[in-house]
This record gives sequence, structure tokens and C-alpha cells, in this order.
Amino acid sequence: MLKLKLSKEQCNESCSSGMSPFNLFSSQRDPISSFSAGPVGDDLYHWQASIMGPPDSPYAGGVFFLSIHFPTDYPFKPPKISFTTKIYHPNINANGNICLDILKDQWSPALTLSKVLLSICSLLTDANPDDPLVPEIAHIYKTDRSKYEATAREWTKKFAV
Amino acid sequence: MPSISVKLVAAESLYKRDVFRSPDPFAVLTIDGFQTKSTGAAKKTLNPYWNETFQFNDINENSVLTIQVFDQKKFKKKDQGFLGVVNIRVGDVLGHLDEDTAVSSNRSREETITRDLKRSNDNITVSGRLIVVLSKVASAGASSAGRNVSRTSSSSNTVPNGGSPAMTSAATNASSHTPRRSTTASQAQQAQAVETTLQSGSNTTAAAAAAANSSTRQYSSFEDQYGRLPPGWERRTDNFGRTYYVDHNSRTTTWKRPTTEANDTSERNANTELERRQHRGRTLPDGGSSSSNINGDNSAVSVQVGNNSATPAVNGAVAAAFAATGATTSGLGELPSGWEQRFTPEGRAYFVDHNTRTTTWVDPRRQQYIRTYGPTNTTIQQQPVSQLGPLPSGWEMRLTNTARVYFVDHNTKTTTWDDPRLPSSLDQNVPQYKRDFRRKVIYFRSQPALRILPGQCHIKVRRNNIFEDAYQEIMRQTPEDLKKRLMIKFDGEEGLDYGGVSREFFFLLSHEMFNPFYCLFEYSAHDNYTIQINPNSGINPEHLNYFKFIGRVVGLGVFHRRFLDAFFVGALYKMMLRKKVVIQDMEGVDADVYNSLNWTLENSIDGVLDLTFSADDERFGEVVTVDLKPEGRDVEVTDENKKEYVDLYTQWRIVDRVQEQFKAFMDGFNELIPEDLVTVFDERELELLIGGIAEIDIEDWKKHTDYRGYQESDEVVQWFWKCISEWDNEQRARLLQFTTGTSRIPVNGFKDLQGSDGPRRFTIEKAGEEKQLPKSHTCFNRVDLPPYTDFEAMKQKMSLAVEETIGFGQE
Repeated sequence: MLKLKLSKEQCNESCSSGMSPFNLFSSQRDPISSFSAGPVGDDLYHWQASIMGPPDSPYAGGVFFLSIHFPTDYPFKPPKISFTTKIYHPNINANGNICLDILKDQWSPALTLSKVLLSICSLLTDANPDDPLVPEIAHIYKTDRSKYEATAREWTKKFAV
Repeated sequence: MPSISVKLVAAESLYKRDVFRSPDPFAVLTIDGFQTKSTGAAKKTLNPYWNETFQFNDINENSVLTIQVFDQKKFKKKDQGFLGVVNIRVGDVLGHLDEDTAVSSNRSREETITRDLKRSNDNITVSGRLIVVLSKVASAGASSAGRNVSRTSSSSNTVPNGGSPAMTSAATNASSHTPRRSTTASQAQQAQAVETTLQSGSNTTAAAAAAANSSTRQYSSFEDQYGRLPPGWERRTDNFGRTYYVDHNSRTTTWKRPTTEANDTSERNANTELERRQHRGRTLPDGGSSSSNINGDNSAVSVQVGNNSATPAVNGAVAAAFAATGATTSGLGELPSGWEQRFTPEGRAYFVDHNTRTTTWVDPRRQQYIRTYGPTNTTIQQQPVSQLGPLPSGWEMRLTNTARVYFVDHNTKTTTWDDPRLPSSLDQNVPQYKRDFRRKVIYFRSQPALRILPGQCHIKVRRNNIFEDAYQEIMRQTPEDLKKRLMIKFDGEEGLDYGGVSREFFFLLSHEMFNPFYCLFEYSAHDNYTIQINPNSGINPEHLNYFKFIGRVVGLGVFHRRFLDAFFVGALYKMMLRKKVVIQDMEGVDADVYNSLNWTLENSIDGVLDLTFSADDERFGEVVTVDLKPEGRDVEVTDENKKEYVDLYTQWRIVDRVQEQFKAFMDGFNELIPEDLVTVFDERELELLIGGIAEIDIEDWKKHTDYRGYQESDEVVQWFWKCISEWDNEQRARLLQFTTGTSRIPVNGFKDLQGSDGPRRFTIEKAGEEKQLPKSHTCFNRVDLPPYTDFEAMKQKMSLAVEETIGFGQE
């Protein structure tokens, strides 16, 4: 069941031999949020993805890696996605867990991996401080935006470049 | 000639020859049949620890040391209480004895060996092993000191050799391990099975958890971001990604992170005490909890009931039932499954078909009779030709002197206006169908197959080993034995079982056997207290025996009117009633999957979802593709066939994956409760039958209820609570089942109500129109209450919604 689904996605998203995986969609889609994804080894249920920090965000210039686990009942249940690169963000905690509604109760089987990664990209541009995973960062985000941006830039330079 | 020292440390896992008694084992050591020594007897144990040292002189490497173990209590019997023998050729263990003499002064030669006990010639079963330390005694001093040393435990001290202290310490080492190991082993073979399960179970879970986290910063399973867990605790993740904590000290699990503080155990004990009190407070509306009560109702008309086989008893009951109406009949056998006989206030018998929810005057057993013998029935010839076909056997149609048609039933010598060939009667004297749990319970209890048999059923368990002990005790007995009056005894505790002891027994046992720690059951994704069969329970090779046992215990509880403190997912009760599991049942099993399947049904999936008629299943880390129908993996799911797919997927996900386990469970259950008797109940009633009905604190319920679109002061909300306070406990329990999927209330009350994503308080939402019934969303513990404008209308709508058994969702 999964194989068929994933192999299609895989071809859509990452099987671009020879090309840099990061500009995979730059010509067709949102040029800002570039990402790539593919299985780790021959385990079809464990993928790795990378996201370019959006240029209009304090994460610009960084490359963030994510680990993706597909449950066996995918697409009836959402994939488990977490950042493996450290990132300073109100909705992403120190373990890399992401607070994103479509990865929880707003999951729909129609969501493809690329749509999910796109949503994560836009979460980097527009954080959601009202539903924070890390309240401290959310507080700074709301009260002192420039301090938040400075820290996020610093972390990006330190961990994601 | 050289001498050796033999230290017999211990034996473990000796064969348990008697059911109720452990042996007093002692060992006899013989070298070459002439030097014989023996240990003292250890008391009442399968894992004796002797730790006695003996010296044997004048031996060579060809000498054979024979160690036999006997039960001292049976030493005078024919087999002398034989528990096994071990033969050791000294040379095999210590090598050439002479050779080493020269260097022995600076080299200690001692060997700790473990040998399995063997049978002797008479082939009596034995088991277990011996732990022995052999060492060579240096000949220099041996000739003088060695000779006069015989068996004393201090002998090792007198052996003048540098090797001896070392040997002693090694032996102490060994012995300090042994008792611990033997406690594990002492729980008999079955315990080992479980133990292995646990081990491997924890490995898998831990491995899975580790795999899930492997990409992020790692904590071992004994620590987390808050630091190390207390000793003996482990952090695990279940298959839904939820973290829980395992206490290996008490073999329990909890969702709450343990703290190192000492008050933790006392808090847990307090919790258990609360649970226990709640458990004791549960009831059933069957007009009395004393076991003799119900039988007493019938005893006046009861005919002699056969005490062993079911058949005469059945006839007896039918006769009794008819005797109660003043009618007579010969035995007709039991009612078809799902049927119940009731009586009008005037005492006339009628029949309730719970399958179709209809009532009729006609005994369904007699209708079958028509089909077989109807055509040859002579009375038909006298009847005018009717579209309805012949009257049942023994019936006659007559006219009154006013020419009104009436019917005579010669079988029961009764008359009626109603044509017995019409399935349901419009006669106002026949009560309309009404679900009545109380009457069902009374009917159910009165069935001959559920009568307590004469005699007593003794079950003796140790409180701290209740699972294993109960397994041994309950599986050892026949189902007939288990139907005798229960006499439970906790080892070392006084007190006769007049109900309290067995209540405690079922309370404790349900906490053990359903504990996800044993990997037989797991918590559903809906909340953290309803349980379902763990599809991976096969990690315990004995799991099917355990499921049969658990089925027996559930049946035993129902049979003896004791409640289990456990609540299954709704689907499991349906399965017990052989009802088809449908997509709505998925809501209580896994809300995410439920929502996705619903989405699949409600949206066009062509070109959106790439699915085939197959499912992927993870079995111990390996992913297996399962066809949902023949060659299913090659059949694409389309908008045309997706309904079939959703049905098959649901069926597979809930039923097929645990088929084997469920069958074993039902085999055990049906040994005490016949399958066709329990079908009188619907799945919600079955939950109450097994778990009892809790006394519900409405104030607490109200206090921890949230409103959406309503205020607590709104009239409808006031009516809602008024309606609930007018209801009895069973109806309240049904409302909870309707709204939350289970009648269970958290131990600490409604404030701890859980949903699929953590705490979820009971919620009343303003939704729907006045003419609609209330709806529920069990994922969110929410009831959608339309803004009714009339109390009576609302009360009636709420009753209807709650009575509706296919109920939840009702979208």
C-alpha cells in the first residue's frame, strides 16, 4: 500500500539525478521554500529531508535536516517528522519536535509529503506564537521581535550552515 | 591420593510434584558409591539453597560424584520423593588431579558448574538444575587436615590452602546471585514464559522507541530531559508514540512520570485504594447482589434441576417458566439466541426478540416446529384457507358466539385474540419492545447454564503473585469445577470468602492480567484506560493459553457476579456478541485512522490516494503486506470500491489482526458463559455486565464539564442535567458510553477524563436542530446538543440517542 504511494512521491520530489536536490522545485513552485526528501538506505519507512531556510526569514542561508518516519498505516496516520538540525523557533522544541496541526489532528490522507514540507517551510517564515511548543521563545517572539530574529540567525549560523 | 572439596550451593526450579505444596529438598552426595554425605533439608521450596561443603578423600579423576535430590517429607515413600540426579566425573571438571599437585600451592583450582537434574531409572519427571563448586584440596595438608574434615560448613576454613578463601568467596558470589535468580524461576514455568515475554517485549518496545528517536538527541530509556528516572523505572513509548513509564519494582505501568521522592509509592497505593473503592461500589440492576437471591425467585416453581449435564436442566427451566404462568408444556429446549421470555403483569407469557427488537406471543421454538411438521398437522384442515399458512402445531381457531375470531393454544391451554402466525402483535396488552437491562440480567441469571453447581471451587493465590497463581489454579480446574461456589483464599491471610475476598481477587487480577506490561493487552489510542488485544502478543509464545485463561476469568466474573476492573474498547464487546465491526468502532480504537477513513469515504480519492486492497503491518520490526482480499495488493482502490475497502480495512485492523487471540479468549469465556445466552445483551450492556455500573457523582461530572456555544446557566443545559439526575445509573452509564466510548470514570473523577490527544473534559456543544437527536464525538468526549425548547421532548430525544446501540457518531 505504501510502496506505490511513496515511490510516486519519491519521483516527484527527490529522484532528480545529477541535480542539486535543493533547487528541485525552484523553477515550478515557490522559489523560496526549497526542499528535498528521500528514503534513508532501503528502508522505505524512514526518510530524510532537508529544507533551505526561507530567504525572508532569520533562517536564511541555513540547511535544516529532518527525519521522517512513516507509520505502517500511512496515509491514514500522519508521518512523524522532526528536525535533526537544532533550530530556534517557537513551534519547534529542543528535541526537534514540530508543533503543526496538519501533523496532528488536522492530518488528512490527501496530504502528500511535499505539501507537508511546504507547510513546515512556511512555519519557518511565519511562526505561530499563539500555539507555542516553546513558550519562552514565543514570548520573546511576541515582545521583542528583533531579539528573536537575532537569536534565530545566530543559531542558524551555528548549527545550519 | 588426592582429595576434593564439593560445595553444593543450590538447586533451582525443581519439579513441583504436588499442586499445593513445595518439597523440603535435601541432597545426597556419593563418590563411587562408597563415601556418602547429605545436606540438611531446605524447607518448602523449589529453589533450595544449601551452601554446604563436603570433602571427599582418596579419589582420582575417574571417580564419579553422584548427587541425588529428594523430598524429605516423602523420603519414606516408594520413590523416596526423588527430585533428580546429577552424575559428575571428577576428571571432567577438575582435570588430572595428580598433575596439579605440584603447582597447586600457588594456583587455586575450583570450578563452578551448573548441571541439569536427570531422571533415574523409574522415569519420574524431574526438572531444574544444581549448582556445585568443585575444587581440589592440595595434598600437602590434605593427608593430615583433610582426613578428619567431614561435612561442616566451616570445613573450607580449615583447608590449608590459599585457594580455599577464593573458592568461598566465589561460592558466596554464586549464592548471592542464586536466590535472586530463583525467585524469578520460582514462579514456575509459566512465569518464565511471561518473563521472557517481558524481556523481549521490552526490547522491542525499547528498540522501537529508540528507532523513533534515533534521529534526535538521545536519552536512554532510563532518563529524560528531567534527569534520571528512579531506580527500577524505565521510559517507553507505545505504538501510538505516547510515553509511559514501567516500574520494574512493582511490575506496573503508569502514564505519570515517576519522581524520586519516596511518597511516590504511597501516592500510587492511595490511587489503588481509590480504584478499589470505586470497583467495590459497582453494581448491576439485577435486584440483589447476593448470589442466592435470583435463584430464590424461581425456587418455588423450580423443578428438580439436573446437577451435571445441561440438557435436563434446560428442560427443567422451561418447565419452571411455564409452571409460573400456570401453563403446561413439554420441554421445548432453549430459546433461540437473542430471545427472551417475559410475562405481562397478568402473567401471560410473551417473547422478546432482541435481534429485531420485536415482541410476540408466539414461542419462537414452536415456530420452528411448524416448519418441520406444519404440513401434516391435521388441525389445519379445519381452518379456512389463509394467506398466512397453517397455524402452529397445537393451535386452533374458533369463533365466539358473537362471531369474533379467537385462537386457542392447546399447548399452553391459553386463548388469545391474536393470530399466532402474525409475528408481532398490536394487542395493547402486549407491551411494546423496550430495552430493559434489569430484566435481561434477571433472565440471564435464571438460565440453567448459569446456576451455581453444588460444591465449592477453591482458589488459593499469593497476593503478590496473583497472575501466575490464578493461572495455575484456574486452568487446572474444569469449567464445571469453576461453576461451583467460589472460595478464594489469599495465601497467609485469614478470612472466608463471603464475597469480599473474591471481589478483591477479581480487582487485583484484572489489574495484573490486563496490564500492558505483559504485552497481552494494550491501551487504545482513544484514551489511556480502555484496553484492546495487543496484536503483537505473540511475542509471548504462551500467549494463547493466557488469552484462554483471561477469557475464563472474564466468564468466571460474570458467572459469579463479580466485576472486573477493566474496560475494553467498544469493538471488543461487539466481537464478543459476534456483531460486525464497523467504521464507527474505529473511533474508539484509533481516532486518526477513523478520521482518515471517513475522509476517504467523503471525498473523491481517484488520483489523490494511491491505495490497494492491502495493508502494511509491522510485526516485530518487519513490515508485512497483508491482502485484504485475494490478490488485494494488485487491486486499486477507487471511488467505486472504496466502501468495500474501508469495510475490509476496518475488519482487518480491529478483528483479523487479533483473531487467534480473540478466539482463545472466547474459548475460555464460553466455557463458563454459553455463547447464545450472552447475546441477549447489546455491547454496552455487556460492558456493564463485565465491569459493573459505577455510582456516578453528578456534581463532579457537572463541575468538570465544558460548554461550547452554551453557558452553564442556559435552560437547555439545566434541562440536560435535570434529565441526567432523573435517570438511573444504567442510563447515565449509557450516556457516558455514548459520549466517551466507555462507562469508565477516571479514578480521580471527571477532571481526569482523557481523549485521544490528552485530557479532554466532558463537553456539551450547541449544535444541530431541534428535531434532531443529540450526537456524540467520542474522540473529544463531546455531545452535540441541539437547542431544544421543550424539556419533555429533549428528554425523549436524549433517551433515544442513548438507547440507540449503533449510536456513536450518528452522523
